[in-house]
Amino acid sequence: MRIAPEILGVMASPNRIPLKNPLSKIVGYLVLIVFAVMFLMPLYVMIVTSLKPMDEIRMGHIFALPLKPSIEAWDIAWNKAASGFLNKGLKSGFWNSVRILVPSLLMSVAISSICGYALACWTVKGGGLLLSCLLVCAFVPFQIIMYPLIKMTSFVKLYNTSFGVSVVHTILAIPILTMIFKNFFSSIPTDLIKASRVDGGRFLGTFLHVVLPLSPNIMIVIAILQITGIWNDFLVGLTFANVTAYPMTVNLNNITQTQTGVRVYNVYMAAAMLTAIPPLVIYFISGKLFVRGITAGALKG
Amino acid sequence: MARLGTRVPNTPGNSFIHRHAAYIAVVPVLLVALCFYFGSTVWSLVMSLTASKIFPDMHFVGLRQYLRLFNDDLWILSLHNLVFFVLGSLGSLVLGFILAVLLDGKAVGERVFRTVYLYPLAISLIITGLVWQWLFNPSMGLQQFFRDLGLKNFNFNWVGDKSKVMYALILAAVWQSAGFYMVLSSSGIKSIDSEIWQASRIDGISKLRMYFEVIIPMMKFTFLTAFVLLSIGAVKAYDIIVAMTNGGPGGHSELPSYYIVDMYMYRHNIAVGASGSTILLLLVVVFMIPFGVVNLILKKRK
Repeated sequence: MRIAPEILGVMASPNRIPLKNPLSKIVGYLVLIVFAVMFLMPLYVMIVTSLKPMDEIRMGHIFALPLKPSIEAWDIAWNKAASGFLNKGLKSGFWNSVRILVPSLLMSVAISSICGYALACWTVKGGGLLLSCLLVCAFVPFQIIMYPLIKMTSFVKLYNTSFGVSVVHTILAIPILTMIFKNFFSSIPTDLIKASRVDGGRFLGTFLHVVLPLSPNIMIVIAILQITGIWNDFLVGLTFANVTAYPMTVNLNNITQTQTGVRVYNVYMAAAMLTAIPPLVIYFISGKLFVRGITAGALKG
Repeated sequence: MARLGTRVPNTPGNSFIHRHAAYIAVVPVLLVALCFYFGSTVWSLVMSLTASKIFPDMHFVGLRQYLRLFNDDLWILSLHNLVFFVLGSLGSLVLGFILAVLLDGKAVGERVFRTVYLYPLAISLIITGLVWQWLFNPSMGLQQFFRDLGLKNFNFNWVGDKSKVMYALILAAVWQSAGFYMVLSSSGIKSIDSEIWQASRIDGISKLRMYFEVIIPMMKFTFLTAFVLLSIGAVKAYDIIVAMTNGGPGGHSELPSYYIVDMYMYRHNIAVGASGSTILLLLVVVFMIPFGVVNLILKKRK
């Protein structure tokens, strides 16, 4: 159904365009606002609950603002909340998450960007086949490779260490990242690569001096995707780390599921907020790039 | 996938490394694919045919572990729950599409709305599960709030009710992911020719009819992609169950992915875990079929 714009120009006299119904516009906005309120509600509840003392919470007014706001729960969550056998709060989990995140970010980006570059810009026989394989890999459910990976990491003494968790995150990220990088680098004009080669640039030199300077955006998108993905991971951390190496999400879950004593919802909500803040900060700062990251990495979800 | 552009032949250098640099760069990824993906998958397939319990055991028993798996009521329940969860997750797509339609072409506050609908995607599913568990708390959560408003019989204790616990999981999952399907739908709507919109204005068709009769049919590939992504997301869902229900009450919120991890890590039955994960792989393949069909159709069109 294509109509040439010239015809439209003739036909589209203003009086034939139906007037926009103001009522439907108002209804549309109302629906948007109602949903916005519903989407924000859990965040609001998390924040107000974390600022209330427990006796105020027991009154059962979940939406009420705190009468005596205090950040005591945040302090307890960060410094001394009990999780399992330890009473060291979330801060150990925070630093474990950082220790897991940095190496896996560097390794996954380094390995997959250079491979994507080789596949996109240079002649690699069988490259197409490899890419098809990677597409299949990206869809393999984690559960089917989980146990063999546990065996392999324990064989090389990486099981139950935070570096082992980093290695597993790297393995899980490589197929999708390689595909994203390959697609992006394919858009770089071949002439640039050729020119660099004529100038004596070799494989790595061309990558560092020609390709990388052209790709700051894709690097940021990938970094956002990886940082939020690894920070929010639970299952890999749970299965490949031990108590001393658990990332923040596992630490948070252990705090909330420790069944000894009273359930302290203010501490749980403060702990949840503390865990949520790093990716939320990245989200609010990065905006559109974050959206590009999650759509590019949708397969990984 | 294998779209080959013009490529540059490898650097003619004097050393082996320079001549084969591009191949060397590919090796690590190739090894990861072969060892950690294909090797591990094959290992799991083999294990599912053995009598392995807590340790791998090379005594083959044919398909007996699959029989055991499908005789386990909990596994069957988890499959039922998965079907329900996939259908419920369609809610994210419906809601995401509605939001995308309402936001389409609205300048005022569009960015604010988008930011609000998308932020749940940035946080961990563990947090989503935790906060929704808190909202569902019968004595201090939303139920109490509505009872205080005068709805004395308001029942919102879904997490504790085995017939409603899946609705609770779905509600939390929709809250988390509707924003993603909004983005997907938005890009689908934007890709539709503006001429079609102008044509509809000339014909005097109402916007609502336009969406139902023209736009939605035109976006069928977008919706199919969304469906594949959300069903694979449902197959992989794990964290949210742990944080919100731990599979309870009585296994009524277990999904296959949860069952398998439980089998491996806590019930120490490698063979049953491996056969469960093989079924999971099959499920992903089944959900991928529409994807493959669409790709074929699109290729033929070109």
